[in-house]
Amino acid sequence: MTAIKRRIPAVALVALAMVVAACGGGGADTTVGADTTTAAAVTTAAADTTAGADTTVAADTTVAAETTVAAETTVAAEGPVTISAADSITGAFVGKCTTNPVFPQANDGAVEAAGELGSEPTELLGPADCADTTAGIDIVTNAVTQQVDVIMVSNNAGDQLGPAAAAAQEAGIPVVTWDSPIPSAEGESVYIAPADLSGAGQVMAEMARSILGEEGGQMAILSATPEAANQNIWIASLEELLATPEYENIELVDTVYGNDVPQDSQDRAEELLENPDLDLIMAPTTVGIVAAAQVVTQADECDRVKVSGLGVSTEMRDYTLSGCAPEFALWSFPDLGYLSYYVGYGLATGQIEAEAGQQFVAGRLGEYTIEEDPGRDAGLRVLLGPIKKFNADNIDS
Amino acid sequence: MREWARNHRWEVLLVGLLIATTAINIAITPVYLGVGNFINLFGLSVEKIIVAVVMAFVIINGEIDLSVASVMGFSAAVMAALYVGGDVPFVVCVAIAIAAGATAGLLQGLVVIRFGLPSLVVTLAGLIGFRGAARVLLEDTAVGDFPEWFDRLGQQPLLGPLPLAMVIFIVELTIAWIILERGSFGRKVYAIGNSAEVARFAGIGVTGVKLKIFVTSGLVAGLAGVLFAARVGSVRGDLAQFFELDIITIVLLGGVSIFGGSGSMLGVALAIFTVLNIRNGMGLTNVDGLIQTGVIGLLLIGSVLIPNLVQKARQRRSTPAIAHAPP
Repeated sequence: MTAIKRRIPAVALVALAMVVAACGGGGADTTVGADTTTAAAVTTAAADTTAGADTTVAADTTVAAETTVAAETTVAAEGPVTISAADSITGAFVGKCTTNPVFPQANDGAVEAAGELGSEPTELLGPADCADTTAGIDIVTNAVTQQVDVIMVSNNAGDQLGPAAAAAQEAGIPVVTWDSPIPSAEGESVYIAPADLSGAGQVMAEMARSILGEEGGQMAILSATPEAANQNIWIASLEELLATPEYENIELVDTVYGNDVPQDSQDRAEELLENPDLDLIMAPTTVGIVAAAQVVTQADECDRVKVSGLGVSTEMRDYTLSGCAPEFALWSFPDLGYLSYYVGYGLATGQIEAEAGQQFVAGRLGEYTIEEDPGRDAGLRVLLGPIKKFNADNIDS
Repeated sequence: MREWARNHRWEVLLVGLLIATTAINIAITPVYLGVGNFINLFGLSVEKIIVAVVMAFVIINGEIDLSVASVMGFSAAVMAALYVGGDVPFVVCVAIAIAAGATAGLLQGLVVIRFGLPSLVVTLAGLIGFRGAARVLLEDTAVGDFPEWFDRLGQQPLLGPLPLAMVIFIVELTIAWIILERGSFGRKVYAIGNSAEVARFAGIGVTGVKLKIFVTSGLVAGLAGVLFAARVGSVRGDLAQFFELDIITIVLLGGVSIFGGSGSMLGVALAIFTVLNIRNGMGLTNVDGLIQTGVIGLLLIGSVLIPNLVQKARQRRSTPAIAHAPP
């Protein structure tokens, strides 16, 4: 009896907090304007920590059209600038954290670019924990004190990085965001975007066809959370393609959600395996694809059910070589880091300007154009390019 | 002087640590000694140290408040939600947000006092509950575009090179020092921390003191949440998440006993300078994030372990007869 009595206050406290919250939440909902919602969608992407890859969210289907217009109107007359070695500079290269393998990979690309441009190799800065979202603010602020020449940052703090980035700009230091932008674009010179929105759906459809072959088969999707904005956009574009005659042999039988938690994802994958006619699990998340590959391998079902989707090459290597996940895709993080460094170097040495229409050549990656970012109300972006497919032939390269 | 040093061994140790870290910082990075860097050194953690000063009172009083970071997030979320609502002048949003922090402290204090529950449990519930409330209020949105005067207060110098939050911190630290070490309230705080039972028999209004401290803790956390929002210019549901760890680390490193009853404002101030100094040095020399976390963790363990070991050793030396006496 006393035990129960004693628990009441704690329960009441939480309940009260929830009630207060719920009332306030209702009020906020009804009044959020259209522009707030847009900013929020982008922020969700910036806050996403699992894939490190899930980035440009809020864009819509008019992307391509807008982009072309923006690019055409301001094309510089003299053509692309080849960014080349001038002064040796120091750059701060900041990931969302140091423990997710994609960020060290991106830094490898930046180091490669720094070498080509005769500059100090970058070292990956960032907190140990990707959940430490405000660490990037401290790192950017310290980089200004260190008087670096350029800051390249995968933003994990949403608009909260804005003031720190603006302070860097004020000190004459360009701020290049990569992987994840500053939604408001405050203080940001240009954003290096890993992929376009519809791209991932297209690539997944192609991989499904190449794995299942002419005769086709049954496919199930293992996604992140039901609310994950990026995944939902990719799945929608994948479903759209599956409805076309080109992919009519592929039947989408189920879409399940592992919440980007390894255990949940494995449980969902096991349930999917119970379907005797299933041929392919498609996981548009780096957590889900590993979980699915593990489950199928452990169940010794690799001959019957294949795994594909978006994954990190170091995590997928064994499953690709074993034939369980013969093909998967992801934008190349080394390339993303490489391009970010080229753009940062070009801005820091004054070879290029952060304005729409600026064309340039970035080493081995070739020609790019800075354009208005269709995913945000403000801001400029450079689009890295096509998503890279990995298979047994290229996974070790 | 020697007498003082003998009674303040921990503070002397911290001064040594502070001098050592400063010397190392000067040696390893030329940019350390700049006005701008000193402003950053404090500015990047100013909200945490504002809360830490009050946390010292909470812990000396024999309690703990794990909810401070969640209350920071909750208050900022209240402010943001009201601002998005649009009908309330922004100054009022700020006032309500800080009042919400105080209310959070009041609620938790009442539960601790009225029902005799350990503050560890109650404020752990607060940590979860108020963070949840902040997330429910803002869902996945980020609220920004606050009035210009608000951003300016958070991001621009107000007094010389000092922004508002640092002015507040300096004033707060001074007031806290006077109250804790020069006033009757401070003596009550120590007495209750040593033994609430004895304090009660001595006629001290234990519940009143405890409640005042919890309300202040909530109020200051609310203020700190608003200041953080002004510094970074936008609010999300995860604002200030996990800050409680750094805050409690600073207080314990300051020589405040986790069991209550002892500690000094000077120690807390020295611990603040030391921790921020170490962080700044590691940041400026690009020390790996994992190592940075590890160093702060070691500091926390050391600050709890070393005084305990010293005390035990001293007890063994001074009272061998009692320690080995038959029952």
